[in-house]
Amino acid sequence: MKLELGYINIKDIQFSNESKVENGTLFVNKDAIKALVLEDANIKSVDVDIARPGESVRITPVKDVIEPRVKVSGGGGMFPGVISKVDTVGSGRTHVLRGAAVVTTGKIVGFQEGIIDMTGEGAKYSPFSQTFNLVVVCQPIDGLKQHEHEHAVRMAGLKTAVYLGELAKALTPDEIETFETYSIRESVEKYPDLPKIGYIAMLQSQGLLHDTYVYGVDAKRTLTTLINPTEIMDGAIISGNCVSACDKNTTYHHLNNPVVHDLFARHGKDLIFAGMIITNENVYLADKERSSNWTAKLAEYLGLDGAIISQEGFGNPDTDLIMNCRKVEEKGIKTVIITDEYAGRDGSSQSLADAHVSANAVVTGGNANELITLPKLDKVIGDIGPVDKIAGGFDKNMNPDGSIQVELQAITGATNEMGFNCLSAR
Amino acid sequence: MSKIKVVQYINQFFAQIGGEEKADIKPEIRDGIVGPGMAFNAAFGDQAEIVATVICGDSYFNENLDEAKKTVIEMVKSKNPDMFIAGPAFNAGRYGVACGTIADAVKKELGIPVLTGMYKENPGADMFKNSIYIVETKNSAAGMRDAVAKMAPLAIKLAKGEKIGASAEEGYMPNGIRKNFFEKERGSKRAVDMLIKKLSGKEFVTEFPMPDFDRVAPNPAVKDISKATIALVTSGGIVPKGNPDHIESSSASKYGKYDIEGVMDLTAETFETAHGGYDPVYANQDADRVLPVDVLREFEKAGKIGKLHRYYYATVGNGTAVKNAKAFAEEYAKELKDAGINAVILTST
Amino acid sequence: MEQSERRFFVSRFFIAFFRIGGKNCMGMMIVTNNERVKEKFEGEYKVNFYDVSLREILIIVRDLIHKGHKLYTHPLSGSVKPGETVFKSIIVSDAPGKFSEESLSIIENSIITCDKFGIKFPDLPDNIKADFQCIDLTLISSALGADNI
Repeated sequence: MKLELGYINIKDIQFSNESKVENGTLFVNKDAIKALVLEDANIKSVDVDIARPGESVRITPVKDVIEPRVKVSGGGGMFPGVISKVDTVGSGRTHVLRGAAVVTTGKIVGFQEGIIDMTGEGAKYSPFSQTFNLVVVCQPIDGLKQHEHEHAVRMAGLKTAVYLGELAKALTPDEIETFETYSIRESVEKYPDLPKIGYIAMLQSQGLLHDTYVYGVDAKRTLTTLINPTEIMDGAIISGNCVSACDKNTTYHHLNNPVVHDLFARHGKDLIFAGMIITNENVYLADKERSSNWTAKLAEYLGLDGAIISQEGFGNPDTDLIMNCRKVEEKGIKTVIITDEYAGRDGSSQSLADAHVSANAVVTGGNANELITLPKLDKVIGDIGPVDKIAGGFDKNMNPDGSIQVELQAITGATNEMGFNCLSAR
Repeated sequence: MSKIKVVQYINQFFAQIGGEEKADIKPEIRDGIVGPGMAFNAAFGDQAEIVATVICGDSYFNENLDEAKKTVIEMVKSKNPDMFIAGPAFNAGRYGVACGTIADAVKKELGIPVLTGMYKENPGADMFKNSIYIVETKNSAAGMRDAVAKMAPLAIKLAKGEKIGASAEEGYMPNGIRKNFFEKERGSKRAVDMLIKKLSGKEFVTEFPMPDFDRVAPNPAVKDISKATIALVTSGGIVPKGNPDHIESSSASKYGKYDIEGVMDLTAETFETAHGGYDPVYANQDADRVLPVDVLREFEKAGKIGKLHRYYYATVGNGTAVKNAKAFAEEYAKELKDAGINAVILTST
Repeated sequence: MEQSERRFFVSRFFIAFFRIGGKNCMGMMIVTNNERVKEKFEGEYKVNFYDVSLREILIIVRDLIHKGHKLYTHPLSGSVKPGETVFKSIIVSDAPGKFSEESLSIIENSIITCDKFGIKFPDLPDNIKADFQCIDLTLISSALGADNI
């Protein structure tokens, strides 16, 4: 499959009467977005706001972050099986409003979490302090059940991202990057001496607020399978996961999967990017066994020499991660795993909930329990409810000067386990 | 602002007194710098200076731990320093253990910040890296410049009470406390780099070492237990009444070997528990509850086991360092093997 | 119970049973401190409800594993941390069998992990409690394949 990503660089975002992209500025017609979101009868009211890098703005509680993209050619549409039909994506050309993001907020549950600070200490830890954010704040109709609320907010975010993405369709990109996947046979013929590396992406799949969708299918119900890495660039995988802000993979992360990008960058140079395997993280132990067995089976079938395994979430996914690692290593395939840590506030506790001697090559996204102080900011977008109800926030964590102490856990994307950030720990 | 006062500890070799033949020299203190101190002072600039150097022979220190520690601490105290540096010891084992020991002791007794440096395989490293900061150095004195470059700035930070960053940033050996810091490259790239190194057999450093697994494969079952000699070993602290060896009630530094030849039953008059980690009432009333001598004697009589070994080994497993427990077991495991024991019953609490 | 309801329950039971797989014919038991889980599942499964803390549920499950029960779901289900949520439901085998070292290792590690987290919200308001109950309910329902909403 060959996919061209055409990047249109966004340097500002403004409300305007007409939605368009001009000279790097994304102009958004607020009413059009509102009307779009209100198409869903489950949403009572919606507010739309803007947050730019450097502004004294806090967005909370964050549900998902999505990058506006649009299919220009190549079959299928963005977010297949969810917004678009299920036609296979991942080829042709896709335009990206690079530097822009749609951020959905919504208190689906009382302890809903996720903070994005656009300036100050907190901004260092979230990649979305660097993006020009269109924030969609949805209020559900009264009495709406949690899973319907989650669905409504998820769809609102995706629809908004698609609407904005469309604005890029006819534009000329500032830069084009090409990604091409080859069959293993082709790669080995061309580069016989290079090691075959696969990427095993673990998807959160435990239930309400902990789900991921592949072409619209709940990952919990899938068997480990192969996917073409360019398909995810067109939104084949989307996030329904909104608990544990620091290490959940937002839809933005799936679209911009850094492991995929870094493996593509090295294909033909010091490795062959042989393929991508996706697997899940179910709660049922027998499912974990089945999925990890399947992962190892596919890795072996692909003839991999090495694999990078990334995970999502905390706690029981550590068990999946270690199972995948152990079983793949047992096949003689060398692994590097990417995870984050919960080593306690003082950094002295056991970082992972599971361990095995074969996991001897680990990249970490940092200790999510580490405390940081967020300054008082001028504006809060979203649900202004008490920040101490956020996972990572805690009772009485506000200082007299209005600054708050939170664990890194509370910051959206802070300890990402795809290796999106530079944060690490020793 | 006055300079930070530093006292440095070095051995006979770095003091240019002599080599192995002078390793037995007793501690002495000299004003100002000796040997490597010059490089440190240069690196400290106007922020700190070494006001005195303590020199001690490696053999003397290791063979007279209590005496040597006491003397050196007194010497250090006399200079009233803000900071204490030991070594660097590179790969010299006894020197590394001495540096770690004395730095740890100074930290505890004088309450001032301490720092040492050594090669990662120096036995002193594993012993002390979790209690004091140890900078990782190269494995020989050729790495002195590199060691000073890392130790000097960290020493100043420690002396000033500044926040210490992650081990990878500051150059000290990971000490079990995880600290966040920003790498130059993102995690996915670090992962690809690490994998390429791992695949090509090159050395790589994991960002998170898995916890230590010390798995022992179990031996096959005893073939005929009715003919076997069984020994008892306990960490439940059962000792003869009066605790003649004074085994500590916690963090035991020793174990006891006791003769139960002819003893059929442990009673409140003859045995007791030294263990401080559980309510001793029931064990003191009848120590068989923790060390089942009476039952094994019955089995002996009934021919169910061959015989109960005449000696049993006991220590207190309450807060006992893994290191110590391993060391004790190595000793008595050898004795038990030499005595032809077939199986051991280990009781713990 | 109406006939249609009865059919619904029976069909649900079979769906859940088949989802579990032929080999695991050993029955299941849900250990929980979540009233909603008790309400939803007590007709179909053996439910042991205890009005205790999350950590105590882990201890109860650990003791069952010592006795030979097998763990079917991971105790650290969900990304809401122990100490934040107070509710936990865990599925184990309803009868003891051969001791499972793997089950023991998982529960022990889960208890160690639980102890890393302090109690974040000592005075949980009712609506948030209800949300945590809901999350726990859906996690256990999805494990049972009974989450076709």
